[in-house]
Amino acid sequence: MLDTPASDFDFAGAADIAAAVASGRFSAVSVAEATLRRIRERDPVLNSFTAVTEQRALLRAEALDATRARGEPLGPLAGVPFAVKNLFDVAGLPTLAGSKINRDLPPATRDAVLIERLEAAGAVLIGALNMGEYAYDFTGENIHDGPSRNPHDHDRMTGGSSGGSGAAVGGGLVPFCLGSDTNGSIRVPSSLCGIFGLKPTYGRLSRARTFPFVSSLDHLGPFARSARDLALAYDAMQGFDAEDPACAERPVEPVEPLLQRGSDGLRVAVAGGYFKCNSGETCHAIDRVAAALGANRDIEIPQAERARSAAFIVTASEGASLHLGRLRTRAHDFDPAVRDRLIAGALTPAALVVKAQKFRRWYREQVIELFDEVDAILAPATPCTAPLIGQKTFMFGDTELPVRANLGLYTQPISFIGLPVVAVPVPLAPLPIGVQIIAAPWREDIALRLAHALEVEGIVAAMRPAM
Amino acid sequence: MKRKAAAETKRTKRKPLAARKAAQRKNDRDAIDALVAAGAQALGITLDPSWESGVKFNLQLILGHAARVDEFVLPDDAEPAPIFRA
Repeated sequence: MLDTPASDFDFAGAADIAAAVASGRFSAVSVAEATLRRIRERDPVLNSFTAVTEQRALLRAEALDATRARGEPLGPLAGVPFAVKNLFDVAGLPTLAGSKINRDLPPATRDAVLIERLEAAGAVLIGALNMGEYAYDFTGENIHDGPSRNPHDHDRMTGGSSGGSGAAVGGGLVPFCLGSDTNGSIRVPSSLCGIFGLKPTYGRLSRARTFPFVSSLDHLGPFARSARDLALAYDAMQGFDAEDPACAERPVEPVEPLLQRGSDGLRVAVAGGYFKCNSGETCHAIDRVAAALGANRDIEIPQAERARSAAFIVTASEGASLHLGRLRTRAHDFDPAVRDRLIAGALTPAALVVKAQKFRRWYREQVIELFDEVDAILAPATPCTAPLIGQKTFMFGDTELPVRANLGLYTQPISFIGLPVVAVPVPLAPLPIGVQIIAAPWREDIALRLAHALEVEGIVAAMRPAM
Repeated sequence: MKRKAAAETKRTKRKPLAARKAAQRKNDRDAIDALVAAGAQALGITLDPSWESGVKFNLQLILGHAARVDEFVLPDDAEPAPIFRA
């Protein structure tokens, strides 16, 4: 429970803020005002927000305080400020998706489904967040809005494409936020910014009223500074939604009440082969997490490198298909790095794309079988800690690789078949790095239980950056 | 005549490896150039000449990944997963 004044709760979690608002220790308005003040003070450096919905937030907070004053119950996220990657529809704002082109769109008339669900649980939307153009990015750089900056070193990348999400949560501006993950865009910024990120099972959370990228691979999910806050946000967003054709008809399966079960009885292995760590910090992080969870065996994810290649092709082709009209009429308005990739994707022969989709089904069947032997698999989240903004290559063992295309080389083979993953932050010095906890489809509970157990043991943590 | 053709073949076989690789790379570049020009025209995308090197670089990257997938043998009854259920 918080015992500090509202002005000093800036690294407090969602659960603590909700408890403080529900008990009357803080008003929801005081929390919203302090959050807005913090954004004004710190975001000129972090560059994480592209819009701050100040009036809306204050009105919403006033309504929550009035609800409490009437003695009516508040939701599990009462008064908790949050923000969303700017590909989520926010009523009254054009849905930028990181682009210049979408600035010409009319404002959205209704919020994305996940925003509606979070606000129904008492959360307070505070703004929209910077991102890589059209989500085709692993760096967090944006040619139109400028790069989001890593809260642990402002000269370094946040990772992308949910770069503003990583900066806003890692920098203490909001306790949680939402992003999207097509090939790693939640897990990469989580790793580089030293926070927790959940990419749920494909089809678990509705994508209705968000700007898409690759329908076959798009996921939405939360970022936070604790596993418990991830679970609270995730639980509030679950549920079938017919407006998203990929949303599965699953019951709501709350995870937060299960966290205390910890890691007891769970069989954990480390991904070998393609995922075998390659740099000092990556190996150190995996070793530390594996030791804490008693993961003393390796397991081979078959054909992982080929899976990454297949994800690469599907992404290029589907992404290009989405933007084909804009490539014909407004190609000059794209970020050149995104434009060139999209045009190349449009030229990819269809027969190869279909082959990748066939391989995807084969690969899924092989990987699912691994979960007969284990409950969770550990793998690195990124091949390195945060590169410098503008850095074009990094060393991967003895090989020099381009940053933009390769920061997600460990995340792509996993999202390709929609497995749920929690990225947990290992607080190494001078920079944090993430580890993926991968579970079987629909078993977000297992990944979140393990993340929570690691946090309780002090193995993983979202460290407060020097301000 | 046959003897002459055989000698030609032998000479080709004796071509140094580096030269053969260089020839292959040139063929690949020509193929990419042709694919970019014809594909962009067919799709109605007007390519600014200053974009061509970036587009070709990315297309080569994609085709490299595609080759890795394509070499994997799948049965004829393998189903694609465009509407995917995890």
